[in-house]
Amino acid sequence: MDSKQDHVDVLIVGAGTAAGVAARHLAEAGFTVVCLEQGEWVDPGKLPGNKPEYELAGAKDWHPDPNVRGRREDYPVDHSESDLPVWMYNGVGGSSVLYGGIWARPLPSDFRVSTLDGVADDWPLTYDELLPYYQAVEREMRVSGLAGNPAYPPGFDPPLPAAPIHQTGRTMAEGMNRLGWHWWPGTNSIPTLNRDNSKEGRCVRYGICRMGCPEGAKSSTDVTHLRDAVALGAQVITRARVARVTLDDRGRANGAVYLRDGHEHFQSASLVIMAAGGIGTPRLLLMSASERFPDGLANSSGLVGKRLMLHPYAASVGIYDDDLENWLGPAGEHIGSMQFYESDPSRGFVRGAKWALLPIAGPLEAAEKWTDPGSLNGEEFWGEGSADRMKSFGRMLQWHIVPEDLPEETNFVSLHPSLTDSDGLPAAKVHYRVSDNTRKIIDFNLARSLEAHEAAGAKKAWVAGRNFMTGHNTGTAKMGDDPATSVVDRFGRTHDVPNLYIIDASVFTTSTGVNPTATICALAKRTASHIASNAREQEVAL
Amino acid sequence: MTALDLSTELGDASRARLAALADVLIPGGSGLPSASEADVAGQWINRALAANGDLAGAVTQVLATPGAPDEVLSDLRLSHPDVFERFAFAVAGAYFMNPAVRDALGYPGIAPRRLPAADGEAEYFLEDDVLAPVVDRGSIYRRVE
Repeated sequence: MDSKQDHVDVLIVGAGTAAGVAARHLAEAGFTVVCLEQGEWVDPGKLPGNKPEYELAGAKDWHPDPNVRGRREDYPVDHSESDLPVWMYNGVGGSSVLYGGIWARPLPSDFRVSTLDGVADDWPLTYDELLPYYQAVEREMRVSGLAGNPAYPPGFDPPLPAAPIHQTGRTMAEGMNRLGWHWWPGTNSIPTLNRDNSKEGRCVRYGICRMGCPEGAKSSTDVTHLRDAVALGAQVITRARVARVTLDDRGRANGAVYLRDGHEHFQSASLVIMAAGGIGTPRLLLMSASERFPDGLANSSGLVGKRLMLHPYAASVGIYDDDLENWLGPAGEHIGSMQFYESDPSRGFVRGAKWALLPIAGPLEAAEKWTDPGSLNGEEFWGEGSADRMKSFGRMLQWHIVPEDLPEETNFVSLHPSLTDSDGLPAAKVHYRVSDNTRKIIDFNLARSLEAHEAAGAKKAWVAGRNFMTGHNTGTAKMGDDPATSVVDRFGRTHDVPNLYIIDASVFTTSTGVNPTATICALAKRTASHIASNAREQEVAL
Repeated sequence: MTALDLSTELGDASRARLAALADVLIPGGSGLPSASEADVAGQWINRALAANGDLAGAVTQVLATPGAPDEVLSDLRLSHPDVFERFAFAVAGAYFMNPAVRDALGYPGIAPRRLPAADGEAEYFLEDDVLAPVVDRGSIYRRVE
């Protein structure tokens, strides 16, 4: 061991989305906090979105697939036995750096899927229990949107005004109205107003949110939370790759061993929070096997890494008569629809999907609507006539479909037997197959989305692809009341280790059918609040 | 991966070959230049490969394949579709960086630029009570006890 760092109250493994929310909350409450982050802070000046090469760089250095980026901090993920790769960003802010900024709460029914639909499991908490935490993090994440969405119960009032739905949203909205289908102006964690002394700007509509915002106008937690946490005294140690979480003689988590620039260090802490994401957290728990936990830390249930859910996206596009300026941000959604979200047994499957009408960042992304292997356009893109197809780019609308993905223990994350990261630690291996139910959700919703394009006036519409990766890596450390069938309790505390918590998307009991960031942040806020409020009763390492 | 620097590693003949191959994919028309007219094989491919070094291998492989350009690419598409896709992505990425092409396609500026929303713009697109039918239908979520 090359060094032993000063003891802190709370060690957070990772400095991503959930970590940012928790670190700021705990630092504000007076705890000493250290985040160990394998990546670096993002330099906004290096983000590609306002440079001519933006789409090319977005397909390499800023691609959400860690295998494509291939940075030192990107541990490899073997997806040779998966129907789709997994996305993530390894750096301060985590995957919120590269997410689209769609802010979607699930619905009350999402927390009761077993009771209502007879599948999977109910969450050990309810929508109403999470409601105040959604509201709190919506202020922190500077969420913009329009109140009154009838897809939700009362109490969903975004703190900032909605962005324009643009001609894109207006065109589709009129089509949805013709069909009598639900739609609503987009709700995004992308601020539409400045705030006094803000470090964030407001959205300037680059439309490239998924490559990181050079303006700082998308609420990633490096911008919204971690700078403030550091100002309050929290430490974010970058290039710090955790090798294992350690235990004291009583089986309490007492810190972590990490590697930094080729040297091994130990960070001592009274309490440890895992926030390494739906792939990284189970990887680290499995790497932290010990005599006490031979199958992996906090894994007496055998469910660490199991029940991986990924939200395999699908997309449809239509070509319209008018120039729709579809490159205008936020991206982010212009409008969304929950028309087919709730279960309807007559459809032949359970659960459903959220739709999001997204801008198209640029011509390379537009061309993929023809060239993607999953595109059913039927026309050759290249060669004669390609100019006419290119000239239709700005007249294109796209629906993204987020299908709920139900948990199955045959979908899981494991440690790779031979592949390692740049520090010699085991890579992750993903085993994932799209289920029959998920496939049916996608088929049904794609068909309906083509009807929506037709109703909105599309001259031609087609399925542009399916099984897109999402970065929605959920479920690999299930939350539940029963220690035999779950990894963490309703506050994110592991059943096996009383001072070890998990706050990332690993804990999702079910994936829901919406983008997970709102729930990740709300759960992190709830766990951090619980820790802060119950510090006197909290068992800690000695 | 180090980006292939065509300016030093390839001479005029190779650039001419790249231009001919690129024109098979992007022959132009309807007010758009062809790939060669847009100088894809000149400065733009250099910038494309500098931005995404993963594409250099595919470009190199295609350039090293003898034969008529259209036949080379059609054969490649069947035998190595992944290489074809990367080559096409590199060519298209170079082409779309040309400001004249972006302008002809209707994109504002040489890259995404700051276009903050105007006052009243959000309200404008919701005029004529376009949301009224949605609101009038009432709530659509399932009640949970």
